[in-house]
Amino acid sequence: MEVDFALIGHQESWRAAREVLAVLRGPEHTPLPEEEIKDILPWIPPRAVCNVEVRSTTGARARGLYIDSFIPPDRLETAYVHENITRVRGAAACASSSKAKIVGLGGFSSILIEGNFDQLPERRESVFTTGNTLTVAFIVQGVQKMCALAGRELCRSTLLIVGATGDVGSGCARCLAPTVRRVLLNARNVERLRRLAAELEAEGTPAEIATNLERFSTAADVVICAASLASPSLLLSRIAPGAVVCDAGYPKNLSASAEIPGARVFFGGLGQVTGGMRFAPDFRGILNRHPFPDVVHGCLLEAMALALEGRFEPFSQGRGFITPEKVDEIRTIAARHGICLAPLYNGAGPLEDALDCPNELLAHRLRMND
Amino acid sequence: MTETGKSQCRNDVVPCSGGVIESLIRPGCSTAERESLSSSAPIWQDVLAQAVTGELLAAMNYTSLSEICDDPAEIADAVEHAEGERGHAAAFAAEGRKIGVEVTDNVNARHWKRLREVFLGCIADRDFVGCLLVQEIMLESFAVASYARVAKEAPGSLGKTFARIAAEEEEHVDHAMAILRAERALDPQLFDDKVHRLHLEVMTTLAKMLAKECKDGHCEVCHESCVKPSLPEVSLSAAELRGASLRQYLKTLDALGLPGEVTLTWVAQLPV
Repeated sequence: MEVDFALIGHQESWRAAREVLAVLRGPEHTPLPEEEIKDILPWIPPRAVCNVEVRSTTGARARGLYIDSFIPPDRLETAYVHENITRVRGAAACASSSKAKIVGLGGFSSILIEGNFDQLPERRESVFTTGNTLTVAFIVQGVQKMCALAGRELCRSTLLIVGATGDVGSGCARCLAPTVRRVLLNARNVERLRRLAAELEAEGTPAEIATNLERFSTAADVVICAASLASPSLLLSRIAPGAVVCDAGYPKNLSASAEIPGARVFFGGLGQVTGGMRFAPDFRGILNRHPFPDVVHGCLLEAMALALEGRFEPFSQGRGFITPEKVDEIRTIAARHGICLAPLYNGAGPLEDALDCPNELLAHRLRMND
Repeated sequence: MTETGKSQCRNDVVPCSGGVIESLIRPGCSTAERESLSSSAPIWQDVLAQAVTGELLAAMNYTSLSEICDDPAEIADAVEHAEGERGHAAAFAAEGRKIGVEVTDNVNARHWKRLREVFLGCIADRDFVGCLLVQEIMLESFAVASYARVAKEAPGSLGKTFARIAAEEEEHVDHAMAILRAERALDPQLFDDKVHRLHLEVMTTLAKMLAKECKDGHCEVCHESCVKPSLPEVSLSAAELRGASLRQYLKTLDALGLPGEVTLTWVAQLPV
C-alpha cells in the first residue's frame, strides 16, 4: 500500500490506552485490566496501530498510518525526556520504513522533537512536520469564535498566553496580538519571553511578561493555555470574570481543581474532517475521542491536509517560526479539503448550542473579531 | 520451606528437590555476598531450573531438527547448536552448585512439554522454516530477553553467565533471521500466516508461563511453591520478564518484515 501520510502520537491517559488495547484484543477477548496495561504498555515498541483514510470534499483521498510511540501516560515528565525522544525516534523510523511521504508529529512528540529535528532518523522518502501551524490556526479560529459566541470583543481584550514561548504559544501570540488590546506572556524561560515581547511590541501591541502567573499587573479576559505539561495541573487564579479560556494542551493543561468561576472554557486546536475518515481496525471515537465525528488535533490534520494537497513538504519545523502568513496558508489548504475548525466543546460537552447565539449575530461578531 | 517466602532458609544450607545440601559458595566470597546469595539461593534455584529446562528442550529441538535437514551444512549447524544448548544447561547447573543449590530440570513439565509438542509437529511435517520460527524466533526471544534481564540483577558469576548465554543465543537468532527473511520474500502472506499459526500455539503457552500468576496450577519446574511472587526479592518481577520478552519478540518480527500493526494485535490478544 502506498502510504501518503503517517501520524505519530501517544495516549494521554491510561483510560485511553485501555480502550486502544481493548480494540486490538477484539470483542472475543476480555479487556485487560488497567494494572496489566500499566505492566505491558511500556514494553511495546513504537509501531503502526491502524490504517487511516482521509477524504477531501474535493473527492480526493489520502491513505496513511497511525503510529503510536507508546509513551506511557504517566511518563510525560522531564525525567523521561530521553526515553521519550528514543520512542519518538523509533516511531519516526517506523514511519520512514513504511515510506510515508509526510509524517505529522502529534501531542508530546512534536514538543520533544521541535528543537531537535536532526534527531529524527535519516529521512530518505519521508518529510516531517510538527503540524503546529494548523494547530495555531484552529486555536486562533476557536478563540475568535468563542469570543463571538460569548459577545466579547477581542480588540478590547487582554490576552494571556500560558506556554507563550513554545512553538504553538508564540504562533498564537503573533496571530492574535494585532487584534487585542494587550498581551500577557507566561512561560518558564525569561530570555525567550523578553524576545517575544519585544517582537510583539515592535509591531505595536503592549506586552507584559511573567514566569509566575500571579505577577501580572492585570487580569486577562482571553486565555490560551498552550504549555507542555505532563498532566492537567494548571491553576488559573487571576483571570477576569467570564473570561474565554482555550485549553490547547495535550495532555490538557487546566487542572480539574482550577477555580475559574464564570469562565467559558473550550478545548482548542481541533479540526474536523467534513469529508470523513476511516480507520482499520475501527478506532473511531477511540483514537479521536471527541463528542463530534472525525475530529482530530490540528497537528495531525496538518499532515493529512498536506497529503490531500499533494504537498509533501516539512511545513512546520523548529520552534518559533510560525507566522500569520503561514497560518493563513495552511488554513486555506485545509479548508480546500473540508478540514475546518471543529465545533467547540469542553469536558462537559458541546458548547455552541449551550451558548445559543443566532447565526447572523455570530457571523457579525466573527467579522468584528477577525 | 514455608509458604511465606523462599528466602527464609538457613544460611549455607539450602533445601532443594534432591534434599538438603551444604552450600558451595566459594570461600573467597565476602560475608555480605555470601549472606545475600544464601538468602536468595532458593529463588535463583528456580530461575536456573527454568533456564536449564529451556536449554535442554532447545538441545532436544536442535537434535530433532538435524534429523530432517537435507543440507549437510544445516545438519552440522543443528548438531552444533544442540551441543551449545547442552553446554548452556551445564553452565547454568554449575552456577547453581556454586551457590549451593541443586538445579533440577523437567522437560516434561506442562508448558515445556507443550512447546516441545508444537516443535515436534513441525518436525513431523518436515517443516524446517516452522522449526526455525518456533525455536529461533519465539523461544529464543523469550530466552534472550529474560536472560538479559536476569543478568542485570544476578550477582557475580551467575549474572555473567546469564549475560554470556544471552549474547550467544542472540547469535543464533541472527543466523536464523537471514534464512527466514529470504523465505518471507518468496511469499509474505504464506509466511505470515505460518508465523501466526505457530504464534497461537507457542506464544500462548509462553504467555501463560510469563503471566504474573500461574493460573493453571504449579508449573512443575519450580522446586516448591511458585517462584514468581518471590522475584522482587532479587529485584526482578514476572511482569518485567514478560514485558522484556514480548518486546524482544515484537522487535524480532519487525526485523523479519511482518507488519507492526498485525503483530501488535497478535501480542495484544495473548492471555495475561
